[in-house]
Amino acid sequence: MFFKNKPMWGKKTKLKSSYDVVIIGGGLHSLATAYYLSKEHGITDIAIIEKNYIGFGGAGRNTAIVRANQRTRYNVPLYKEALDLWPVLTKELDYNLMFNNCGNLNLMHSEAAMKAARMTIATAQFHGVESHLIDAKQAKELVPALNISEDITFPIHGAMFHPPGGVVRHDAVVWGLAKGCAKNGVQIHQQTEALDIGTRNGKVTSVTTSRGTINTKQVLISAGGYSAALIYDMLGIKLPISVLTIQAMVTQPLKPVLDHVVSSGAYHCYANQTLKGEIATGAHMDPWPNYTTLNTAHYIKHQAEALSEFLPCLRGVRFMRIWGGLADMTPDMAPIMDGNDQVEGFFMDCGWGYFGFKSCSAVGKYMAQFMAGNECPGMLKPFNLNRYQEHKLMGETAALVNYSPDN
Amino acid sequence: MNRLSQLPTLKIDTTQKLAFTYKEKTYFGAKGDTIASALFANGVRIFGRSLKYHRPRGLYSLDGECSNTCMEVDGVPNVRCENTSLEDGMIIKEQNVKGSAEYDMMGFLDKMDWAMPAGFYYNVMHKPAKIWPLAMKQIRKAAGLGKIAPDHEIPGKYDEIFLNTDVCVIGGGPAGMTAALAAAQKGLRVILMESRPWLGGCFEYRSREYQSRQTLHDRAVQLAKEVEKTENIRLFTHTSAVGTYNNNLVTGFQIGKKEDIFDQRYVEIRANSVISAAGAIERPLLFDNNERPGVMQAACALRLAKTYGQLPGKKAVFSVGHDFGLEAAIELHDLGLAIACVTDIREDGQNLELVKKIRNRKIPLLKGWVATKAHGMKTVKKISISTLDGQISKTFACDVIVASAGFTPVTGHITVNQGTLKYDSHTGAFLPDQMPEKMHAAGRVLGLEDPKSIEVSGKLAGLKAAFDCENCSIQELGDAKKELEALPGPARGSKLVTAPVKGRKTFICFDEDATIKNIKQAIEKGFDVPELIKRFTATGLGPGQGGIPGHNLPLFVAKYQALPDISIRPTNVRPPLVPTLIATYAGANHKMFKTTPMDEMQRKDGGIFRNIGVWQRARYFSNDFSSRKEIENVRNNVGMLDASTLGKFRIHGPDALKALQRVFVSDMSRVKQGRVKYSAMCNDDGCVIDDGVVIKQGENDYYFTTSTGRAGQTIEWIRYHTRYDGWDFALVNLTDSMGVINLSGPNARKVMEKVVDIDISNEGFGFAEYKTFNIADTIPVRAMRLGFVGELSYELHVPASYMKAVWIMLKDAGKEFNIRNFGVEAQNVLRMEKCHIILGQESEQRTNLLDVGLGFLWDRSKADAKTVGAVALRQAENDQTRFKLVGFKMENNGRAPRDGALVVDDKVRGYIATARDSFSLNEAVGMALVEAPLSKIGTRLEIFEDECGDDRIYGKVVAMPFYDPEGNRMKM
Repeated sequence: MFFKNKPMWGKKTKLKSSYDVVIIGGGLHSLATAYYLSKEHGITDIAIIEKNYIGFGGAGRNTAIVRANQRTRYNVPLYKEALDLWPVLTKELDYNLMFNNCGNLNLMHSEAAMKAARMTIATAQFHGVESHLIDAKQAKELVPALNISEDITFPIHGAMFHPPGGVVRHDAVVWGLAKGCAKNGVQIHQQTEALDIGTRNGKVTSVTTSRGTINTKQVLISAGGYSAALIYDMLGIKLPISVLTIQAMVTQPLKPVLDHVVSSGAYHCYANQTLKGEIATGAHMDPWPNYTTLNTAHYIKHQAEALSEFLPCLRGVRFMRIWGGLADMTPDMAPIMDGNDQVEGFFMDCGWGYFGFKSCSAVGKYMAQFMAGNECPGMLKPFNLNRYQEHKLMGETAALVNYSPDN
Repeated sequence: MNRLSQLPTLKIDTTQKLAFTYKEKTYFGAKGDTIASALFANGVRIFGRSLKYHRPRGLYSLDGECSNTCMEVDGVPNVRCENTSLEDGMIIKEQNVKGSAEYDMMGFLDKMDWAMPAGFYYNVMHKPAKIWPLAMKQIRKAAGLGKIAPDHEIPGKYDEIFLNTDVCVIGGGPAGMTAALAAAQKGLRVILMESRPWLGGCFEYRSREYQSRQTLHDRAVQLAKEVEKTENIRLFTHTSAVGTYNNNLVTGFQIGKKEDIFDQRYVEIRANSVISAAGAIERPLLFDNNERPGVMQAACALRLAKTYGQLPGKKAVFSVGHDFGLEAAIELHDLGLAIACVTDIREDGQNLELVKKIRNRKIPLLKGWVATKAHGMKTVKKISISTLDGQISKTFACDVIVASAGFTPVTGHITVNQGTLKYDSHTGAFLPDQMPEKMHAAGRVLGLEDPKSIEVSGKLAGLKAAFDCENCSIQELGDAKKELEALPGPARGSKLVTAPVKGRKTFICFDEDATIKNIKQAIEKGFDVPELIKRFTATGLGPGQGGIPGHNLPLFVAKYQALPDISIRPTNVRPPLVPTLIATYAGANHKMFKTTPMDEMQRKDGGIFRNIGVWQRARYFSNDFSSRKEIENVRNNVGMLDASTLGKFRIHGPDALKALQRVFVSDMSRVKQGRVKYSAMCNDDGCVIDDGVVIKQGENDYYFTTSTGRAGQTIEWIRYHTRYDGWDFALVNLTDSMGVINLSGPNARKVMEKVVDIDISNEGFGFAEYKTFNIADTIPVRAMRLGFVGELSYELHVPASYMKAVWIMLKDAGKEFNIRNFGVEAQNVLRMEKCHIILGQESEQRTNLLDVGLGFLWDRSKADAKTVGAVALRQAENDQTRFKLVGFKMENNGRAPRDGALVVDDKVRGYIATARDSFSLNEAVGMALVEAPLSKIGTRLEIFEDECGDDRIYGKVVAMPFYDPEGNRMKM
């Protein structure tokens, strides 16, 4: 009846010699863009070129948190739309993306942090996104496991509570979008490596892959952590991106104990309980640029030290798995979405750092609009590459970011 | 139950009884028992229920490979009872049951598997959307194994230790011990880690002959004695190695003994060379109900008897694929276990001596046969076996099934450190291919089974490690290699992946209840790579990780898709290789904050401290967080602030000035001796990253301050931005060696006069001047007249060791004026009234020098400077779209908006940086960053606060500063 086992993203097909659109990278931004191109713009002759398998990179390595509590007026509406799209996509794709709308609790540990939170909250409220500043006691009511005593390294002053956020099953989004793409005729070519982009007179003409050359007029590179290197290698465009390892880990599964996503900037730590019961936790990147997904000994120890303090009951729980992924960080913590500027027919969607998952649905929609109409939608305009040339950073974080000595 | 006694291998002492509580009743175990072996001795066969189908689960391995025996012990969930030592008074509870493990009301789910194929949850419960939140609640309740209370506090002491060694050996079996001895004999410092409480590995519990008149057990004891008496081997038993990292960093955790001061200890070892001798685990045999209580691995059955003195049951059937299985059958038979039949997957190739021994004991031996199904509702009652093609079958009544398809070398320590494995079709196992640098494998990790080969491979690895440490010759290495080559290599392994079954109840992963059928479903859906199948079916993602399915999954996937051997790749193994308590990882949980020399004295004076960056600072001196008294005292009298956290640096040398010119925006050649110069640093985007004062102490010799937050990065910053110039200068970070006292207020001079001998009249020591002198002929002081808070003020830079003395002198001198401390918040308000900015408060990531009104600091005519940020500043000069810092007052005497409130019209146009109801001015004032068009004096600012709804408050842009605009007070 409802469980017929047929391949979800089509049978393996031959790579054709030409496509209307070629998308390099088989992650969420690629799949979402292809999905919306095929669904809303009638462009179905699309090849997604993936070196490994779909969802190999950040799409399958992130900790699945979604939220719309960004800092600036350029970002909040985009993330709000992304957040609103989860239930819509679940229905459209007829695939349960398991949106756990549990709300995010962002802990604040100083007067300065409370001020920063207030600005973010006011920005959210101004844009119609629910977010509230609450005190430590209220936070404890939401998360009984929280340690709000003064006797920890960073005592909790309060928190930003953002009820519309939560957790989405990241793998399901990959598979659901792939299913939707395949249904609309998009071809997904796994284990196929993109090697080069051919151009003539400043226009895209082809993409060379490990399985042959494809003629095309439009290419999108949205290959997560690998984008910056690919774009430089293939087109010589230098991006202000530092690629850093970011690690995440899970504990053994438990019965429900944590009902919200809890995060703390001071502790560099977030934690949420997956539907399976594991406490998923992680936080900041390793402090140096690095193209590997290697784990480090100090990182898992740091997480344990942090959790020990603000969620002390977890001391009796065991970590069972840690993994690493790549975060492509820009100097202003905001992404680069651009196209038809450096090379006609070339589009890029990168620099998402660790925000790539939560944004993918809305970005796919607008990138599709951009590629189909060859005109940048207003929503994406502030994210162009030129802003760095003009020294106009986006202001997505209050503090200066420092990934490397050159920042 | 009576335990077997008189066995030399026993690790229990039945004369010492330990009481424990299980299901609210008291039971007894023997000293040396694990929790599981004690429960087993008391007749417990079902330890818990499985995650999805609530199937009964029992003792399967004794090394914690799956979650079958995970229980709640003293409130701590998911404790692996099979390798956790029993302690007196433990309280043990079952997990994931409704009712009891024996009678679980959710047991019916086992029949519902048709409704729960692989990934079924992605296809259901989302239509209509309304039902999902309700369904999700139920899923959450059903999922998860153990329970933890939100207020649970794990008892015990957790410690940490960081070690350095020449050679670290992982695994205290025969290979590990031989390796450790070989390296130690070369004079190296060796650390040996063994996860069991004792040494001996796979020799320890076996009576098979090692050499004439010596059993494997005897040999293990002999080796262990040698290891224990070798002084340069540091032994860590009951210590699991859970991670290996770059440059041979090994982490693990140690379980403390009674006499230790810790219960568990995080162990981190930096080794020059690492030897992986972690042995092998058994590859589960896949047949129907292959995890029914009563089914267990061969080593589990044997060790249950030989280590813990209990037979696994009354009557057993063996279904194995290796000689060790035959050996176990013989030993268990001789200990009194009835064996109905031994089936061997291999049609030939058995050790003839073992076959003979089995025949001598009249045990039926069927070659080329395999178990196909375990019968029995809750525990094993009967078994079906068949020929490999499934054509002929038989059944036997039994209560134990010893099942084991082959061996899986424990290679996690190699692969998490980036070593690679290769499928070896001779053994059917993944064997090390590329080893990480300075890491060597030994023993069963290499697929070896012959006892002598295992030992010699250990010796070779030990010598290789010694070679890494330059303590061994190539000649010796060659000899050991030859010695190993002369001995038997890895045994041929059985290739069977599954018995001839459909697989609906054949469990490839116990922890996640994933069956062979689920794997087939996933493959049919297009998940063709083991890593993807893992994600889709959760196989190997449970509490035991890849222990049970790690080897079988890639084999099965290849077989099902008829892929050639060469394409078989192992799935990823990830640290921690043994699940590790967060408490253990946290260890001692240090708090590391820097404190100033005045820390103690300020606390005595009632300071309320906050962590600010890496420092602890006194933010308030009363519970009135408006700091009114502190503020008024500075304005009207005199106060003192501890500003020791400021970054303080000396830069000197022939090119010191060039370096300053590079990073500071001002022309630093104009810094005059005896004067204080305020300036700022920008980054390449022109954004202000730091500000502070610079003093010329002598020719080519400067002293400068930075903000507290930047102190840690300053040296790196200057070096980085001068890296191509080859300039000759030296930088010294004096932040921690110098303390700073800020003495401010109209009475500051009167206080100073009583302490110092120099002329400090306004003529003798004017505003923005700098002096050095000694207090009491002893204490060297650098004094500056600054005006950050807007009053007459002296900033005294004093060596940290003299800070207390100077602080007390000033305090004593100030007594008659009622001098008081003021904290960081008071300073914040005082300087805000004066519109002096604090970076990070009146600036953010995108704020440049011009935006905050500090453009006057920037000298455009600096000749050879190439000032960092100058290019961007030039570009930004005419940009009208940037934020500008403005001062504002509230309309109609309204209250101050909260920091972080927005300035809006129909869009966000800026935000409030700092605003307060000013006691000095009797009105609400503040500073805001707003878009340039809103920055004109007189502009009305519409202010949107959090939770304001439709209400707005309004302010008006006014000239800065608010307080004492002429600056008379600080210059008095």
